[in-house]
Amino acid sequence: MAVTEITVKLDRVTKTFGEFTAVRELSLDVRAGRVFGLLGPNGAGKTTTIRMIVNITAPDSGSISLFGRTIDAEVQDRIGYLPEERGLYRRMRVADQLRFFAELKNFRGKEVEAKIDEWLERVKLAEWKNKRSMELSKGMQQKVQFITSVIHDPDLLILDEPFSGLDPINVELLKEIVLDLKRAGKTIIFSTHQMEVAEKICDDICLLNRSQKVFEGSLREIKRSFGRNSVAVRCEGGDGVLDDPALVSKLVRHADEAQALLAAGADAQVLLKRLIDSGATIGKFEMVEPSLNDIFITKVTEPA
Amino acid sequence: MKKFFSVVKREYVQRVRAKMFIVSTILLPMVMSLFGIVPAIILSIDAGSAMRVAVVDHTGKMYDQLSQALVSDESSQETQNNGMSQQRSARSIPFGNFRLEEVSAENQSAEQIRTTLDQRLRNKEIDGYIILPPDFLNHGQAEFFNRNPGDVVSRRTLQSALNRAAREQRLIEAKVDSKTRQGLFQPVELQAVKIGAAGQERDSGGSFALVFGIGFVMYLAILMYGQIILGAVIEEKETRIAEILFSSVKPFALMMGKLVGVSLVALTQLAIWGLAFSAFALYGSGVLAARGIRGNIPNIPLSHYIYFALFFLLGYFIYATIYALVGSMVTTAQEGGQLAMPIILILVVSFYLFFPVSRSPDSSFSFWVSMIPFSAPVAMLVRIVTQTPPFWQIALSLLIGFSSVLVIMWLAARVYRVGMLMYGKRASIPEALRWARQA
Repeated sequence: MAVTEITVKLDRVTKTFGEFTAVRELSLDVRAGRVFGLLGPNGAGKTTTIRMIVNITAPDSGSISLFGRTIDAEVQDRIGYLPEERGLYRRMRVADQLRFFAELKNFRGKEVEAKIDEWLERVKLAEWKNKRSMELSKGMQQKVQFITSVIHDPDLLILDEPFSGLDPINVELLKEIVLDLKRAGKTIIFSTHQMEVAEKICDDICLLNRSQKVFEGSLREIKRSFGRNSVAVRCEGGDGVLDDPALVSKLVRHADEAQALLAAGADAQVLLKRLIDSGATIGKFEMVEPSLNDIFITKVTEPA
Repeated sequence: MKKFFSVVKREYVQRVRAKMFIVSTILLPMVMSLFGIVPAIILSIDAGSAMRVAVVDHTGKMYDQLSQALVSDESSQETQNNGMSQQRSARSIPFGNFRLEEVSAENQSAEQIRTTLDQRLRNKEIDGYIILPPDFLNHGQAEFFNRNPGDVVSRRTLQSALNRAAREQRLIEAKVDSKTRQGLFQPVELQAVKIGAAGQERDSGGSFALVFGIGFVMYLAILMYGQIILGAVIEEKETRIAEILFSSVKPFALMMGKLVGVSLVALTQLAIWGLAFSAFALYGSGVLAARGIRGNIPNIPLSHYIYFALFFLLGYFIYATIYALVGSMVTTAQEGGQLAMPIILILVVSFYLFFPVSRSPDSSFSFWVSMIPFSAPVAMLVRIVTQTPPFWQIALSLLIGFSSVLVIMWLAARVYRVGMLMYGKRASIPEALRWARQA
């Protein structure tokens, strides 16, 4: 792969709060123009990592560089940040609010007004422009919060659980916007513990668990390294075969089909043959890639 | 710096535009004047008609004196001087709130008179009666019978009138003529004269009153706006905006912006009231001047006005920053309200230092309290108007004060930031100090 520009680089970053180590010896590269998924269970250190990137808190050791330089106020203005903990001024009108957040990123003047209209139009809130935010529904407020992080056209956008609590239509709307921003060459760091969402929009991922990096790389490579060791099966009968621990290490039954993770050393062909021999009627037998969710669970529950 | 002004602008514009601000600006002076006027009105309400009092004067000399004393009590000085010697012949004369009636004591025993009067009292023909025994002038003991012993005001008025009447009568009997009598009761006046650097100057106490007034307005502004500053600092915690802000602006700039923004709102409101009051006072003094009454405009040097402004600001900001610090430590406004109670206490204590400092403005006690930021504003102003201390002391006091404001704000900003990272935990004071160190 060609050498790509690195937008965010963390080098052996550690951050402790008293006795508790939130992030330990973390190194990672966020490549320009890609969606980088920062994944991990609750308390893995995702939010602390992000806070160090946006300069809310400083690492105890290690270094962080953004756009090839150490962070300062000027670099800070090129970041858009939507924290997990977010809100709006309740009594402030939507437009005033967006103008204020733009000003805090040193984005002022006439262009701001045009941007406010453009973004409100885009998230379908144009007619709410002069309403106070307390009059907005929760979903609408969330879309306004999203605009606060992109209004100043940042080169690096950091989204911490951006879709939590949104209905599917709005999730789709924001997801489209995120992908558009990526196409426009922006770098996006996307933090979540919802693997289905991450799977659909991330190019690269980094999995954190217990303050440490478990793995990092492009989503495709990671999936490939896990191999096609999963089988989607739809069959009647043959239950005894699927429950055989020598063949299947883990079985997840959905409404009409089951997903079987092959045991180490087991062969899918052997499983198929055993199923046929047992007299089961097979409707579907397909080798599938493991879902990010499976990888996530496997890695997180693996003994360290 | 630009971001700082954005924060100031937001705080100011949002608050001044709010209905609350407009309503409180108009309503508060009205409520205040209502508090001033209503009690006066209520006290002047005359629930019933004049109180009818019968007087049984066994001395035979007191009735006229008493009626005159009551008149002089009710009406102004002029009647006292002019109407003194007039003899009143009517049997029942209105004296302000009292309607006196002389009951002849001749040809009746004391019991008979009392029975008759008791009867009249029960029939509500009179509201009370006074019996002055023959030896009243010697022993000074009289009795007042009425249906309503709870009416303290009337009893006190009667007593003081009787007092004056007895004094007058005793002097007459001691053969003191009326001119001497008047001379005896001429009040004296104590004129305070200040010996300043420029020599003698008459000080009507105007600058003193002004210092007291400034202290009072400061106290008022803190009471009103301290809580608002507290709320403003907590606002971003309660609405969970803090983290978004801190990715764009330094906590110190945010805190300072909030403090300055809210303070400008406070100053705007005070300025509106001040202008309205001055216009009112100017109009009022114009009316008084037209009637020939001239108010004393205190003779205060210009430099004092500058000091007044500086120390007022210092006093306001010192306490306002303490509110900001409290706001940085707590997560909800209620918690903040409780924690802020001691601030009011310090404020009240510093205010009362007015009195010891004004008695000995040059003492070392006065020096130290005028250096401590919390008490400096009032104490130093008192010293300036009494015995102006050397300039270096005034400058030092201002320097200490305003540096304290910056230090407290810096501390508040750190506590605030760490508190946010700790996720909605309320800080104890030692914890807050530790946070300030580690942030």
